[in-house]
Amino acid sequence: MTKKVRTSNSKRVHIISRKQDWAVKKEGTSRASKIYSNKYTAIKSAEKLRSTGHDVVVHKKDGTIQEWKKSKK
Amino acid sequence: MTNTIDNFSNNVFINCPFDSDYIGLLRPLLFTIIYLGYNPRIASERSDSGEIRFQKICKLIEQSKISIHDLSRVRSTKKNEFYRLNMPFELGVDFGCRLFKSGQAKQKKCLILGKERYKYQIALSDISGSDIKSHSDNAEKIILQTRNWFVENEINHAVSSTKIWESFNEFMADFYQKRKKEGFKKKDLKCLPTREYIQFIKDWLIEHNLQ
Repeated sequence: MTKKVRTSNSKRVHIISRKQDWAVKKEGTSRASKIYSNKYTAIKSAEKLRSTGHDVVVHKKDGTIQEWKKSKK
Repeated sequence: MTNTIDNFSNNVFINCPFDSDYIGLLRPLLFTIIYLGYNPRIASERSDSGEIRFQKICKLIEQSKISIHDLSRVRSTKKNEFYRLNMPFELGVDFGCRLFKSGQAKQKKCLILGKERYKYQIALSDISGSDIKSHSDNAEKIILQTRNWFVENEINHAVSSTKIWESFNEFMADFYQKRKKEGFKKKDLKCLPTREYIQFIKDWLIEHNLQ
């Protein structure tokens, strides 16, 4: 039987806690695109990606979902 | 879930509280253990009312080469509240198993976690010679400490803790989205049985070619 392998969802951007900061990371990329010292600024910067078809998933410090902002496209 | 002693080398007994206050640390801890190719064993993995809890814990300890003991919740938080003694008690049983049992029990290893590194020796001076890793009540840090401990003691190499942390966040997004589609509400997800959660992690890691 062939193993079903799913790749990452490249249409999602995550706002993830990174030590004391907040990272904006597109799913499927190996590195965070930007690091911000403030969560609000990180969310704001990711906001523009919604118009390019990305969902923005805002995580809490424990990794759970705070908010799921759907793509505007 | 396999419950045989045959998996001794891969089994990781987790000694931690099971209240909602700890779930934010338990989730990344389980994820890290499974990500690294190990099998978490935890008292909440099954709840047969006919099984005596302490006997179940002893069996899990006996069947696991590795144990992770989190002492971060032993301290009372309110006036006149007792210490929570289950975690140090189970740590003692694990030490006893390693000391007095022969055979594969001699291979047993353990990681002791705490919120702060040096606080616990005050109440539990018998472990003053033991290394305690601090997670500072932080999900990202419990992944870091667990991953590093496995590399220091069990495996020579693993992906970075940053990579595990990022995967964990992506997993949580899928977990939330999939369960929401299936009709689960936030309150359902908060009290999802451990066994179901573990299976979801295993399936996700396979789906993403990470196992």
